[in-house]
Amino acid sequence: MTDAALNPVPAPKPPLLKVENLKTYLYLKRGIVRAVDGVDLEVAEGETLGIVGESGSGKTMTSLSMLRLLPKPSGRIVDGSITLDGTDLVRLSEDEMVRDWRGRRISMVSQDPLTSLNPVFTIGDQVGAPFRYHKLAQGCGAVRRAVEAVLSRVRIPSPVKRIDEYPHQFSGGMRQRVVTSMAIACSPRVLIADEPTSALDVTIQVQMMELFRDLQRDSGLGIIMITHDLGVAAGICHRIAVMYAGRVVESGDVREIFRNPVHPYTRGLLNSIPHLGRKRRRLEAIAGQPPSLVDPPKGCRFAARCPQRMPRCDDYPPSFEVARDHKAACWLAESRS
Amino acid sequence: MTMSEASSAPAAPLLEIRNLTKHFAVRGGGVVRAVENVSFSIGQGETFALVGESGCGKTTVTKLVLGLEKPTSGEILFHGADLTKASSSTMHAYRRQAQAVFQDPYSSLNPRLRVHTIIAEPLMAHGIGDRSSQRARVAEMLDVVGLPKTAADLYPHEFSGGQRQRIAIARALALKPSFMVLDEPISALDVSIRAQILNLLADIQDEFGLTYLIVAHDLALVEHFSSSVGVMYLGSMAELGPTEAVFSAPLHPYTKALLSSVPRPDPDHRAPEGVIKGEIGSAMAPPPGCKFHPRCPFVIDICSTTPPVDRVLAPDQIVACHLAESIPTSSVPA
Repeated sequence: MTDAALNPVPAPKPPLLKVENLKTYLYLKRGIVRAVDGVDLEVAEGETLGIVGESGSGKTMTSLSMLRLLPKPSGRIVDGSITLDGTDLVRLSEDEMVRDWRGRRISMVSQDPLTSLNPVFTIGDQVGAPFRYHKLAQGCGAVRRAVEAVLSRVRIPSPVKRIDEYPHQFSGGMRQRVVTSMAIACSPRVLIADEPTSALDVTIQVQMMELFRDLQRDSGLGIIMITHDLGVAAGICHRIAVMYAGRVVESGDVREIFRNPVHPYTRGLLNSIPHLGRKRRRLEAIAGQPPSLVDPPKGCRFAARCPQRMPRCDDYPPSFEVARDHKAACWLAESRS
Repeated sequence: MTMSEASSAPAAPLLEIRNLTKHFAVRGGGVVRAVENVSFSIGQGETFALVGESGCGKTTVTKLVLGLEKPTSGEILFHGADLTKASSSTMHAYRRQAQAVFQDPYSSLNPRLRVHTIIAEPLMAHGIGDRSSQRARVAEMLDVVGLPKTAADLYPHEFSGGQRQRIAIARALALKPSFMVLDEPISALDVSIRAQILNLLADIQDEFGLTYLIVAHDLALVEHFSSSVGVMYLGSMAELGPTEAVFSAPLHPYTKALLSSVPRPDPDHRAPEGVIKGEIGSAMAPPPGCKFHPRCPFVIDICSTTPPVDRVLAPDQIVACHLAESIPTSSVPA
C-alpha cells in the first residue's frame, strides 16, 4: 500500500472490517425506528469507503453501531455482525469493547470539532487521554512526547508550543486536526470519519483531505468516510456505499458509482446537484421526501419517489451484481446482472 | 451578463452599495473590521451572489443591506435613495420591499405559531388587509410554494426541513417584495431536497420579478444560480463581475484557489495539492497591504505594503490585485 493511495486498489483484499446484515433499531415512544435495516459493508486495509446518504438514511447509526456507541437505552443492534480482525464486535461485552477496541482498534472523528473538545482542558490533556487510558505511554514526560508526536503527525505547526493551549485558541481547521490526532493516537486499524470536513471552508477542506490521504498512506488505515457531499466522496474514497432509508441501495468502486450509476436514487442525486462548469437552467429535483422509518414501505423504500417505478417494486429487490465490484438493490439492475 | 432572457437593456440598479464599511468595537478594546470599503450593485431582476469563507464579512453585508445593522460609513442606495440616511418612514416602506430567507428553517420559524400566523405576520406588522384577505393571501402563498392549504393550521414541527424552508419562502413573499436576501437558503437541507428549493426560488423570481442577493459557500450552486458574483476575503471585495466571466476566467489568486478547492463529484478529478496554505487571518488585525498576501502563492513585495486598488480588467470584471494580469490561468480547472 504505497502509491495506490489515490486510486482504487485493484487486487481484491480480504476485508479488514466486514459488516453483515446489520440491523440497528431505536425503540422510541413513537414506535420502533428501523434506522439501519440489513446493511452489508466492507473496508479493506488502506482503503477508504464512503457512506453517502441524507440525514435519516442510517449512515451515522451504522457508524455508531460499529463503535457500539448507540444512544441508550433506545438504540439496540438486533441482528447482524461487525467483524474486525476476526472478532465480532456485536458479541463483545462493554468492558472488552472499552479496553481493547473502541479508540484502540476502531475510532472516530466527528463532524463538529468544537463540541468534541472540552473547553476547560488543554489540548495536551485531551490528546494525552487515549495514551494514558490504553497505557501506551507511562508518566508525564512520555505522554507529553507522545502527544507532541501525534500532533505533528496531523501537521499542527509548532506542537511543542501549542500543547498547553486551550481549544478556543485553535481555528476550526486546527481543532479538526486535534480531534483527528486523538482518533489516531492508538494507531487504530479503522477510522470512522463522520462528515469531517462539512463544517470547514473549502480551502481548509482540501487541506484536511490531504491529511487523511497522508495518514492512510503511512499506516494502511481503513477509513470509513460518512458524507452527504458527493464531491468529497468522489475526491477521497476508493469505494462508495449509497444509503437510503436504512439500507444500502448501491455500492462499489467509486468510478463505477459515479460513471455508471444504476439505482435511480443514485442517479437522481447526481443529477440534482449543480456541477461546476456545467450550467443548466433547471436542476432535476427528486420529488417527494424520504419515508418514515417507523413504518417503512414494504418494498423498495425509494419506490414512492422513483420515476421508474414498476409493480415489482412492491417487493424489496435483492442486491444484484451489475459489474465487478458494483452492486445495486433495484429490479432494474436484474437484467444487467 | 449571463441572463439568457436578456431582460430589457441595463436599467438603473435596484440596489447600489458604495464603499460600505462596518467596524464592530470589541469589549476590552480593539475593532473588528468586518466589512471594509465594499461596493457593488444589483440590477433589477438580477441575482447577485456573495461568496467567500466564514469570517469574510458576507453575512454582515446582508445585515447592513436589510437595515439590521448600521454601517460605519458608506452608502446603500435602493432605487437611488440612500438608506443609511433614510427617515424611519422610508425604512418602513423599504422593509416592505426587502425580505429575507435564512439558512436554518428549524430556527427561523417560531415553533409556537401556526403556519398561518407565521406567513401572515408580515402582513399584520405592516397593517395590510383584514383577517379574511390575510387568510386568502396565506392560502395563495402556500400554493405558490407548493404546500397544501391545510398546512396553514399546522405547526412548524409537523413539517420536514424542505417544507419548512417553503414556509419561510411563503412568509418572505407575503408582502410581495421586490428584493430578497437569501442567506445560505439550501445548505441546511438534505441533498435530494435542495434542487426542489432552488427550482422554487428560480420559479418565484420569474413569476414575481424578484431581485436576489444570495450568500452561499457552495460555488457550484452560485455558478448555477447567480448572474453576478462578488468574492469577499477578510472584509474586502477581492473580485467582482458577471458570474460566467469570474468562473471561467477568474483574475484574483483567491478566486482561483477557491474554485480549484471545490470538491468535484468526479473520481478522476484531483484537487491540485496545497492550492493555498494557511487559514484566513483575523479581522481584528488584518494583514497590511493586500489582506490575502500571507496565503497568496504569487506574493511580491508590494503586496505586503500597499493595499491593491480595484481595477477593471475585463468587461464589468473588477479585481483588487497588484498582479492579476501576470498570474497564469493554468491553475484554473477546466
